[in-house]
Amino acid sequence: MSSELLVKKLPNDIGGDASGKIERVEHELLPWEKRCHALADVLDFHKIINTEEKRRGVEALGSEMIGKLSYYERWIVAFANILFQKGILTPGDLAIKMEELEARHTSETARAHPNA
Amino acid sequence: MGTVGDDNDHDGHDHDHGHGDAGHGHPHEEIFIADAPGYYDLMETAVRELLIERRLFGADEIRRQIEVLDSRTPALGAKVVARAWVDEGFRRRLLEDGRKGCEELGITFYDDTQLIVLENTPKVHNLIVCTLCSCYPRPVLGLPPDWYKLKPYRARAVYEPRAVLEEFGTRIPDDVEIIVSDSTAMVRYLVLPMRPPGTETMSEEDLGALVTRDAMIGVIPVEYPKEAA
Repeated sequence: MSSELLVKKLPNDIGGDASGKIERVEHELLPWEKRCHALADVLDFHKIINTEEKRRGVEALGSEMIGKLSYYERWIVAFANILFQKGILTPGDLAIKMEELEARHTSETARAHPNA
Repeated sequence: MGTVGDDNDHDGHDHDHGHGDAGHGHPHEEIFIADAPGYYDLMETAVRELLIERRLFGADEIRRQIEVLDSRTPALGAKVVARAWVDEGFRRRLLEDGRKGCEELGITFYDDTQLIVLENTPKVHNLIVCTLCSCYPRPVLGLPPDWYKLKPYRARAVYEPRAVLEEFGTRIPDDVEIIVSDSTAMVRYLVLPMRPPGTETMSEEDLGALVTRDAMIGVIPVEYPKEAA
């Protein structure tokens, strides 16, 4: 592909591309996916991240990540990046919080299954 | 880039095992609650808790929005369509301002989006898509199906709508114009399908029961009597 097309068409801009047969797939959202959707709406209500910022945030992940992450995985990663850019959170804040949550889960599981 | 058949979005594939029909209701959640939360699941919780700690919004707002999301189903859109079929004044107001028309029936819009209702006629068939992402009339239809968010539909609907419709089993005669409307963050569309023949004596409620989500996206007509699938 000529590099010119990379400039003209960002990863989300797929209208008009050749593509395969439509598979009529659907799935019930997982609990975390639904929470992620609600989070998106609340971020929009509070003008923290609006819908267009979210769309651009997903696009900014680049085509490899867009290709490999699922729909809501892309959303939550985009939210984190946008929050870093806006100075609302730092990557360190997020990393520490995720470690805490993982430790919290491990200790809860250990309590629930003492013999496990 | 883009091998045909493989695409950007693979929501659900891991969990659907290839059978895409709605209504296979295994309680997937149970499996996932027992498992350790995945990386992205943790990230969602972390981002949410950090923002709540910083008082940017309250935990109750997330809970309330989940309830709002759960309350939005295609039954709302079906109610709008059925009313438009039986009430000419409402139909005109709805086509003039889709959002106001829905609000007249008590359907609130929880976001800033505008709604344009597109009327199918014997001469025009409407189809909606979001080529850039997944914009959809969520307040009246709920969340979009995965196929609406996947590459094949988004890429092809705008340049070969007849072929796309045939994949949904819908053949549009050549003398009927097809108009494809591409949604944006601010403007969403809803198709007002044609009322099927033979329904002249039906009640508004029974008419509403005929109207499906896919008919309001524009990929199938409303049928009566329903054909066996």
